[in-house]
Amino acid sequence: MTQIMKGGQPFFLPAGSTGCLLLHGFTGTPNEMHWMGEYLSGRGYTVLAPRIFAHGTQLSDMFRARWKDWVASAEDGYHLLKGSCEKIVIAGLSMGGTLSLILSSYLPVSGVIAMAAPYEMHDPTVRRLRPILPLLSLFYRSRAKESSGILDPMAKQVHVDYDGYPVRGGYELQELLEEMRSNLPQLNKPVLLINSKLDEAVTPEHARAIFESLPSSDKQILMLEEGGHNIPRDLARQTAFQAAGDFIQRVTSEAG
Amino acid sequence: MRQIQSGAEPFFYPGGETGCLLAHGFTASPQEVHRLGEHLAQQGYTVLGVRMFAHGTKHEDMNRARWTDWLTSVEDGYHLLANHCKRFFFIGSSVGGSLSLILATRFPPAGVVMLATPIRLPPDPRLERLKPILKPLSYLLPAIPKGPPTWHDPQAQVERVAYTAYPLRAILELEPLLAAMRSALPKVRVPAFLMHSKNDRFIPSEHMQQIYERLGSSDKHMTLVEDSSHVITCDAEREVVFQNVTGFIQRIDTSITEGV
Repeated sequence: MTQIMKGGQPFFLPAGSTGCLLLHGFTGTPNEMHWMGEYLSGRGYTVLAPRIFAHGTQLSDMFRARWKDWVASAEDGYHLLKGSCEKIVIAGLSMGGTLSLILSSYLPVSGVIAMAAPYEMHDPTVRRLRPILPLLSLFYRSRAKESSGILDPMAKQVHVDYDGYPVRGGYELQELLEEMRSNLPQLNKPVLLINSKLDEAVTPEHARAIFESLPSSDKQILMLEEGGHNIPRDLARQTAFQAAGDFIQRVTSEAG
Repeated sequence: MRQIQSGAEPFFYPGGETGCLLAHGFTASPQEVHRLGEHLAQQGYTVLGVRMFAHGTKHEDMNRARWTDWLTSVEDGYHLLANHCKRFFFIGSSVGGSLSLILATRFPPAGVVMLATPIRLPPDPRLERLKPILKPLSYLLPAIPKGPPTWHDPQAQVERVAYTAYPLRAILELEPLLAAMRSALPKVRVPAFLMHSKNDRFIPSEHMQQIYERLGSSDKHMTLVEDSSHVITCDAEREVVFQNVTGFIQRIDTSITEGV
């Protein structure tokens, strides 16, 4: 018996002295970053994908998780990767994108890639319930996930995640997003935002709101035509991987 | 704002095909095994020192931790090493040694090293009386201060990165953790190496003797040091500890590589 569910393990793919930290999303696992990791590793980048606390084990662990635990897990990944790399770029999906932006505001990274990163909690009901969620979560622990949101049927099959959303997590996620919004004005690094036009949860408006908050002049949005929220799994993933690889190459080859 | 305290960061030094997974103790941080890790990296081993969940941040975080979270932290470290290494040594200080041993029943390493590792909670009359109400009490009194330090090397005390209080709720988690360790002991058959200080005033060295006796391994050794307190990886005789641990790993590693 192991603690971590099959396929949900963190991974490390050693290659060159430029590293990419890959951060998975809320209720996801490092598994959803694996194809991206293999692609970047093939381009000579060392890749490390940590498991964010309380993910990839059992849903009930999420009831005890706080947003600071997730930031600490992402920081763990950064420090572990630092041992084999001179330059680091952080990339993340959804909540992993939020974590990428937070970490990049205070850690010496060369750039940051945020895929389908929300600017605020997308569900207005969860936003309105925010003040009572901690109390509510003591009685109403979790709600079922309708679907993974992945449009590619093959990717859907190999996806490893929880089948429900922890109610407490809805509160913590909003706290985390508030931290991100207050950190964005300090994030003076090259930023690539990748979003999907068809993402029903994190709509293109989220990307624009993050874009507007960034002080950096080196910032861009790549809007994908195909696929849904789970960009590194879904139909336009190759376009996203290539853009990410080119971005890493550019920001790590420039002086400084 | 950074969540992990300065000096409490986990570490990873990629090297050869033999990987050393280092686990620190209760309320400590990766700093506790960092020098040992550097020493092993200098010998050419790949070294990874994990941060146990809720350690190295704020001690309040620990009251949300369950012992299985700590086991998962060690398991994370194993998976990160797994793609890079062919053989593994699980090495732990204090309760980190207990976790290393439990992990060894799930992913068999080439060898396991337990340093100043307890076999059960040391008897504490205060704790015995409070145990039935410890969970509710922990909401009112989240932590109790640690006793006076007993370091033999005052510099090691200065360098120490650890919580200065014991989180009350988290102490309860040590019981199922150590029970899991005791049931793992006879199942572990891989070579094992134990070290402890005679002058450990926190976990008496009899614990090492009892772990030794219950271990399923046929290749098992134990060594005592004297001029150290509980944290033998940092205290006055740390160099002796580093050499003994390295000697054990080299012996097993060579026997495997030459045997193949």
